[in-house]
Amino acid sequence: MIQNGSVGGSFKPLTEESIDRIHQTAMEVFEGVGFEVNSEVALGFFKRAGAWVDDEKHLVRLSRKRVMELIEMAPSEIRLCGQDEKHDIFLGGQRVYTGTGGTALYIYDPNTGQKQLTTLDDLKRISKLVDQLDNIHLFMLPTYPSELPVEQVDVNRFFAALDNTTKHVMGGVYTLDGVKQVMRMAEIIAGSGERLRQRPLISMITLGISPLKMDRQYGDLVVTIAQAGIPLVYPAEPLCGATSPVTLAGNLVIQTVDSLIGVLLAQIINPGTPAIFGSVASSTDFRDLKYLAGPVEMGLLNAAGAQMAQFYKLPFYATGGMTDSKVLDAQSGYESALTSLLCALAGANFIHDAAGLMEFALTTCYEKYVIDNEILGMVMRAVKGITVNDDTLAFDLIKQVGPGGNFVTAKHTRQFMRGEHYQPLLSDRDRREEWEAGGGKVTWERAARKVKELLANHSYRLPAAIRQQVLSEIAGIVD
Amino acid sequence: MTEDILTLLKENVIQGRVTQDDEGFDEGMVGQPGVSELIEKALAQGINPENIVNKGLTAGMNIVGQKYEANEYYIPDMLASAEAVGVAMEILEPHLAKSGIKSKGKVIVATVKGDLHDIGKNIVSMLLRGAGYIVRDLGNDIDPQVIIAAVREEKPQFVGMSALLTSTMMHMKDTIEALTESGLRDKVKVIIGGAAVSEEFAQGIGADGYGADGFQAVRLVEALSTNVES
Repeated sequence: MIQNGSVGGSFKPLTEESIDRIHQTAMEVFEGVGFEVNSEVALGFFKRAGAWVDDEKHLVRLSRKRVMELIEMAPSEIRLCGQDEKHDIFLGGQRVYTGTGGTALYIYDPNTGQKQLTTLDDLKRISKLVDQLDNIHLFMLPTYPSELPVEQVDVNRFFAALDNTTKHVMGGVYTLDGVKQVMRMAEIIAGSGERLRQRPLISMITLGISPLKMDRQYGDLVVTIAQAGIPLVYPAEPLCGATSPVTLAGNLVIQTVDSLIGVLLAQIINPGTPAIFGSVASSTDFRDLKYLAGPVEMGLLNAAGAQMAQFYKLPFYATGGMTDSKVLDAQSGYESALTSLLCALAGANFIHDAAGLMEFALTTCYEKYVIDNEILGMVMRAVKGITVNDDTLAFDLIKQVGPGGNFVTAKHTRQFMRGEHYQPLLSDRDRREEWEAGGGKVTWERAARKVKELLANHSYRLPAAIRQQVLSEIAGIVD
Repeated sequence: MTEDILTLLKENVIQGRVTQDDEGFDEGMVGQPGVSELIEKALAQGINPENIVNKGLTAGMNIVGQKYEANEYYIPDMLASAEAVGVAMEILEPHLAKSGIKSKGKVIVATVKGDLHDIGKNIVSMLLRGAGYIVRDLGNDIDPQVIIAAVREEKPQFVGMSALLTSTMMHMKDTIEALTESGLRDKVKVIIGGAAVSEEFAQGIGADGYGADGFQAVRLVEALSTNVES
C-alpha cells in the first residue's frame, strides 16, 4: 500500500514569534548584507528586477518589499509527476513525501564489508529497487557514475532512472549541455514540451553556496531551467559553525536567505516557475569540520525549515534519514529514523536523502534502501497520527464485547487493523526459537535477501517506441 | 621575569587570545594582555626570539594539540590558537631573520579551477601559519596556469590544492600535469585535500600526499619536510 501525502505538522520546534524573528532577520540580511552572484546572466536578472547591485563585488541587495513580492509569485503547491500517475506527488501545505537523495560516490557492500566507486549499472539497479519500495515516493538520482566523463553524466543519470522506475525523477545536474539534453529526453518521454510542463516527469536540483553566495555555473543553470519552466530546487547547505553561525537560529537565518535566493531568481526569470524552498542544513563535527549527515540538530533544523517554508507558503525540500555510520549498525538505524521522523512530523513536504545514504552521504548501499523503506513506513504511520471519531472510539463495540470479552473476533478489528497498524516488511517480530530456526538473521542480512528478491523481478522499461526515439535522438547514452 | 612572560605567552596561545580585547577559552580574561602585546613586551625586554618561539608559541601549541586529542578542544578553539601564533610569527619574522633563523618553509595554497568552496583551504592555511610556515593563499577558482606562475615566482616547497566537487577535482590532475610540463614538478611537493578526494585519488593523479583535514595537512607537510631535508 502506498502511504504518501499524509499531513504532518504536529511537531513545531519554532513558536510563531520565533518564526517571525527568523523572517525579520533574514529580511535584514537581504537589505543590509546582500549576497554574491557570480553568474553574469543571473546578476543581470537581479538588476532588472530592481535589486541594488554592486558590479565590482557582484553583490546583490533586495528590499524586503521586493523579496516578498517575488515570493508571492512562486506557486505554493507543485505537482511532480511520475510516468505512472499513481506516483504523482503534490508538494505543499503540510503534506509529507519521502525520497532518495544523493550524490554518493561509493557503494558499500555489507556482505564483503568493502566499498567501491559506483557505476552506471549500480544506478540502474538502485532505480529498479526503489521502484518497488512503496514507502519511498520519489526517486532522486542517488549516485555519480564514476566511469563516465562529466559531459555524459547528466543524460545517463536521468536515462538510467527514467528507464527503470515510473516514479518522479529528480536530480542534480552538472553541465549546461547535459541539462539541455535531459530536458529534450524528458520532452520525448512526456510527448512534447507542453506536456512536460503540464506533467513534469523530472525536476532539477541546483546548488547555492552558503553563506550568501551563488556560483557561476549554478547561477547559469538556474536561468536555463527556469526558462524551460522545469521545477527546480535551489537548496542551501548551511553548516553550523562552518558556513553559518553555530547557533541553530543563526543557521536558520542563513538557510532561509540562501534558499530564497534561488526561488527569487526563478521568479524574476519566469514568474510562476515551480521553485522549491530547499534545505540541506546540518552541523559539522567540531573536531575536524566534517559535514555530518546524522546529527539530531539536522532533524531540528529541517523541521524548523518546514515551518519557515509554511510561513512563506512555499513547497519544502528537506534533508533527513541519513547516517554517518560506515556500516548497517544501530547508529545507522537510529540516526536515519530520528532525522526522518523530526522532518516528517513537522510536515516537511519532501524529505530527500531519506533512503540509502550513509557515511556523510558519500556512500550508498542496496540493503540500506530496504531498511530505510521500513523506517519510512513507520515514519509515515507516525505522521498520519491518531484518528478520533465514533468509529475509532468504538463505544458500541466496547459495550457489545463488555467486561472480560475480547476483540479478536470483532469485525471492527479486521476493518481497522491494517489501516491503524503499520505492518513491518523487514523488522523481526518472531519468537526467539522461530528466529533462530530461520537462521538468526540480523537486519541487514534480511535486507540483503529482500534486495536479491526485488532485483530478480521484471524491470520497468520505457515504452519501446519512445525508448528507441530517445536512444537515436540523444547522443551519449550508454544503453 | 623572562620565564614569567614566556609562561604568560604560552598560556595566551592556549587561550587563543590575539590582543588584550579578546575573550579566551576561560572567562574573565578581557583586558589582560594578549599574544601580540606580550610578544612586543618580550622583544622590548630583549628576550631571544628563538626562545619566544620555542618556549612560548610552540610550547603553547603543543598543549593545544593535547587538548584537541583529549576531546577538550574543537576546531574553533584550535583556530583561535593558530591565529594567535600566526600573528606572533608576523611580528617576530624580521627579528628571526636578523638572528639568521630560517622559516620552516613556504606553501602555496589554492582551491582549484571551477570550485568556489574554500573554507577547508582557509583552515589549512591558518593551521599551517600557526605551525610556523609562510603561506601564500591564491584564493578560489584558480586556473592551473596561475598556480604555475606563482610557483615560478614564489619558489615554495609545497603546493596545496583543494576541491569540494566531484566535477572539479580533476583540475588537480590538470594542475599536476601542467607543473610537469613546465618542469616544476620536481621543485615542489604537491598535497591535496577536500571532501571529494581521497588518498587513493591522490596517488592516482600523482600527488605527494593527501590530508583528510587541516591537522593531517600540517602533519603531512611536516612529514614531507623531513623527507626533503633527509
